[in-house]
Amino acid sequence: MSRVTNLKISRAHLTSRVKQTMVAILSVTFGISMYIFMNGFMTGVNDTQTELAFSTLAHIHIYNDLPEDNTNLLQKKYGDDKLVNLRNAKVIQYTEGIKNSAKIIAAIEDHPAITGITPQVNVNVFFRNGATKLNGVLSGIDVNQESVLFGTEKYITQGSWRSLEDRGDGVVLGAGLAAKLSLTLDDNVTVITADGVSRNFKVIGIIKTTIGGVDNAKGYVRISSARQLISKNQGYVTDIQINIKNFNEATKVATQLAPKVAYKVESWNESNGQLQAGNDLRNIIAVAVSLTILLVAGFGIFNIMNMTVNEKIKEIAILKAMGFDGTDIIQIFLVQSVIIGVIGGIVGIIFGYLVSVLVSFIPFRVATLDTLPMVYDPQDYILAFIFGLITTFVAGYLPAKKASQVDPVEIIRG
Amino acid sequence: MNEEIALSARAISKYFHEPETFQVLKDISFDVKKGEFLSMIGKSGSGKSTLLYLLSTMDTDYTGEITINGECLTGRTQNQLAAFRNAHIGFVFQFHYLLPEFTALDNVMLPALKLGKKSQEEIREDAYSNLKMLGLEAQAMKQSNKLSGGQQQRVAIARALINQPAVIMGDEPTGNLDSKNTDIVFEIFRQLAAERGQTIIAVTHDDEFAQKSDRILELGDGRLLN
Repeated sequence: MSRVTNLKISRAHLTSRVKQTMVAILSVTFGISMYIFMNGFMTGVNDTQTELAFSTLAHIHIYNDLPEDNTNLLQKKYGDDKLVNLRNAKVIQYTEGIKNSAKIIAAIEDHPAITGITPQVNVNVFFRNGATKLNGVLSGIDVNQESVLFGTEKYITQGSWRSLEDRGDGVVLGAGLAAKLSLTLDDNVTVITADGVSRNFKVIGIIKTTIGGVDNAKGYVRISSARQLISKNQGYVTDIQINIKNFNEATKVATQLAPKVAYKVESWNESNGQLQAGNDLRNIIAVAVSLTILLVAGFGIFNIMNMTVNEKIKEIAILKAMGFDGTDIIQIFLVQSVIIGVIGGIVGIIFGYLVSVLVSFIPFRVATLDTLPMVYDPQDYILAFIFGLITTFVAGYLPAKKASQVDPVEIIRG
Repeated sequence: MNEEIALSARAISKYFHEPETFQVLKDISFDVKKGEFLSMIGKSGSGKSTLLYLLSTMDTDYTGEITINGECLTGRTQNQLAAFRNAHIGFVFQFHYLLPEFTALDNVMLPALKLGKKSQEEIREDAYSNLKMLGLEAQAMKQSNKLSGGQQQRVAIARALINQPAVIMGDEPTGNLDSKNTDIVFEIFRQLAAERGQTIIAVTHDDEFAQKSDRILELGDGRLLN
């Protein structure tokens, strides 16, 4: 009963000064909608960035790592208490690449997190057209799997990715590389390996990913053609690229796979720390900015509730004289700020969504984008609402506490 | 004997510490009988209001002992005292202190809703009959800040009566009223004391008002003079 009475008094306070209540609600609305917009936008930017990066980068990469330090292998053998003197050391033949790729793929492919595996034979080569000679990488790939993992096919600007399947002598060249070599579709290009083997390929596609490493230095051929070029047998690969369901779990999955594979298993965040750092920093900025806005909204509510308490101090005194205790008074004022928080939160969620939709239509033609990126994650909306409630609760509690400590005698006697 | 005593004060002393320590009330003891209409008078600064707020349990900073309705109230917590005030004490102040956004009826209902002993319907009926007794039935649904000063003060009295308190305390209850309204309020107090057996303690400057009451307690320099 007394709770109903308290609510009734709260409502009377809120409705008797509509303007102030509106300002308080608006400040929460603004804070929450900014939180939603900022986080949606930043996640959109991060996702775009990640998607671009993953157009050449796999989540997990298996390759044959060279021994870390082979300047003095004998010292390791004999230990530190013996002195080993070795002059002019040279590495003699060691195993390059991965020989038994089919066995490795069979060993790991039933891991539940894996969504795709593709073998690659990457060779450092010179591309030559007439007198122009350019350094680059020739990538022998599984035409189908490569596109499943990296979406390579959608970056093709001229020609066709699928023709690689039909033509052993076909090559898809990066746009920048083709331009520097003055090559267009259906021209011939000579590829020369480090061992001096050279072979002619026909340009059957041009690819443009906006990533310099691909566009200016890469050519794709069928994996068998690449093996043939460096005289390796069936089953030889230099790299195995693996994609998993959630790329944020790459490190975890990599450590699970490592014992099954005799080669180096490396997750993308291990080899590309800057990507992860960029994502994390953008997220921190988004959260910091939106929490600051919420904090300012909190000060606004604190201020307005403080004014209400001062304005209603005589009412508080008489309520206490009539037997309302401290808890009742706290309830009366806290309910007001919580109502402000809830209304502001709901309106903020709607407004934040509308702003996000509006911004997602702003044209932004860079790389693969047409408009500004935006992500609508329910978690952001829920978190924004919770943060909004916490802010209004704290901002309302302090004035309510102050109101509960009013000494009625002091006020009534004047 | 004990049953007839509504309120008793024993050896009440109080000090003010600001701006310097000063004894406002000096060893005051008295009893008030049930159904008695008591006026407290005295010059400004004599301590009469201070004494009233001690009796009201709102001010707990004193030495001595206060008993109302046989319950010793000295040393209780603020929340216990709030609950006690709600059930047993009614207040009428110089200013009405009604909640301006509420109707006269809602204002009268407030203390009873807080007490929570009756249903909302019963409380509404009680409040309405209180207003009717004070001649305000036509004003019951009006917002309290739309009423005249005399009407507001009568609403405040109706509010003080709603839980049928043992003691009604007034701090200059007629201080803001013209002589016509003063007479009305006085008449109400007299009826309550005589017919319902409610004890009334009123601090007043109005000598005429005091003369008409059952008993006068005069304070001077923090002591009882009579």
